[in-house]
Amino acid sequence: MTSFLRRHASLLVIGAIASLGAAALWQRDGGPAVGRALYHAWELFLFIAPSLLAGMLLAAALRQLMSPGALARWMGAESGWFGLAVATLAGMLTPGGPMAAFPLVLVLAGAGADRGALVAYITSWTLNGFQRVLVYEAPLLGPGFAILRVVITLPMPLLAGWIARRLPIAWEPPK
Amino acid sequence: MTPGQIFLWVLAVVALGFCLRRGPGTVHKAGIETGRNLIKILPMFAVALPMAAFLAELIPADAAVAWIGPDSGFAGVLLGSVAGGLMPGGPFVTFPLVLAFAKAGAGVPQMVALVSGWCVFAVHRIITWEYPVLGWRFVALRLVSSMLLPVAAGLIAELVVEVVPIALVSR
Repeated sequence: MTSFLRRHASLLVIGAIASLGAAALWQRDGGPAVGRALYHAWELFLFIAPSLLAGMLLAAALRQLMSPGALARWMGAESGWFGLAVATLAGMLTPGGPMAAFPLVLVLAGAGADRGALVAYITSWTLNGFQRVLVYEAPLLGPGFAILRVVITLPMPLLAGWIARRLPIAWEPPK
Repeated sequence: MTPGQIFLWVLAVVALGFCLRRGPGTVHKAGIETGRNLIKILPMFAVALPMAAFLAELIPADAAVAWIGPDSGFAGVLLGSVAGGLMPGGPFVTFPLVLAFAKAGAGVPQMVALVSGWCVFAVHRIITWEYPVLGWRFVALRLVSSMLLPVAAGLIAELVVEVVPIALVSR
């Protein structure tokens, strides 16, 4: 039971917020308003579904093709800006959510990437990962907005990695 | 289909083509992985999209204007960055919510800060993934290194939109 709760914690929390939201809306605007909101949600799903499927196929295909360990030899402590740039590019191309990306940090660290490159990698994945931008941000908020934000934040992982190399926080991959 | 969706499908087909060159088994594996991920994500969609839709109805139409509207300036950018970090869940939860903010009158630079703040800080992701997999020291290293980035992104966006006007899509 507890493991079930742990595994589905976010599902349950979001479900609870959704139920509260539905109840509040029902009370304020009545049943038909709840129905309209559900219909909007369904429309949003239909709108996002083609990108979602394409994004997942692309992510799964890339995972079969890429070998992250091979990249890490360019990401060592002596790799300078070039290493940070490789890490930034690798982050943008990394598909999938946190369940895929964070374990990859361990793989890269094991293959020789230093903490600056790892911070640049994860920052780049989270800010500009292609899947998130193409599947969600561009369709929902508009391509103009997505391009603006991506262009502005494109060099930022390099900066984060540069700072991380200078911080007195040593990190060893957990055994 | 929008041009972005067509682009994504082209990329997916090309990547699957490369898989096919490695043998049909690789394509099969990719297909199985896609199916498994879809099964995992669909229940999330089933609760997250209605949640966002209900909240969008409940948030008054001009609620965001005073806090993170186009004229809220630096304070709005700062608030957006912090609020972004507190938003729960993956992109399927966050972007519909962000869309609700956009409809409620948020400004473009403030939205840039909000989305970037969610990307960088994501408190919920730190607790569920980053800390257990990589440990507190990595979390501290990353947070200190990228603390200022969402605010910087918002301020740069403020300068850019004065030159290039960019409209938010509101469906």
